[in-house]
Amino acid sequence: MTARSERDRSPFAALVLGWILPGAGHAYAGRWGKAVLFFSLITALLVAGLVIGRGTVILVRAPQEGGELRLWYAAQLCAGGPAIALTPISQYIATRDGVDWADPLHEMGTLYTAVAGFLNLLVMMDAYTRIAYPGRLGEQPQEEGA
Amino acid sequence: MWLWDVVYGFFAHLFSPSNPLWLYYPLCAVVAVVYKATKFDQPRKIAYQALHFFASVSLGMLALALVFYIISLLL
Repeated sequence: MTARSERDRSPFAALVLGWILPGAGHAYAGRWGKAVLFFSLITALLVAGLVIGRGTVILVRAPQEGGELRLWYAAQLCAGGPAIALTPISQYIATRDGVDWADPLHEMGTLYTAVAGFLNLLVMMDAYTRIAYPGRLGEQPQEEGA
Repeated sequence: MWLWDVVYGFFAHLFSPSNPLWLYYPLCAVVAVVYKATKFDQPRKIAYQALHFFASVSLGMLALALVFYIISLLL
């Protein structure tokens, strides 16, 4: 990868890629170690939340007839692709088995998945700023031909 | 002796298998690692800072909860 191509990277593309797949923004910025770390942890948090909440936590709407929109989903959606992929599974299980809203494990699972979304938001912003402001964290922008 | 019983009861309840509050610890650990990995680049520094963050938050919250628990018993 040459210095010129590193400069040509778009911070906005890093932001969008980071939303589509957690850590992809860092992979785009050439930081593969962090990309793997962020992808593993955020996806693990989402899956753990789904397991803890017995599969019924990533819901667009409550499964009852005319169920209301769930505000938690806005936070979960920040985790991007994996959250979107898990939504129909969760919605199907919730419709089939029902949801125990009073279950503390359901609450904990919802919290896990929402925090996964918020963490991905932080990771996306980090990928953006690393490309937009390469001098941050004491990193020096690579010189041409360096 | 009374205070010891209170502290023991507090921790016994907190870590009982029927109480899912212990699930906050893995969550806090992941938050610590991701948050510190966005701030630092060297793996050793990330690990040290994440451990520091995790210990500070966990122990701080435990201490605060214990104080509030004792106050609630006195009221």
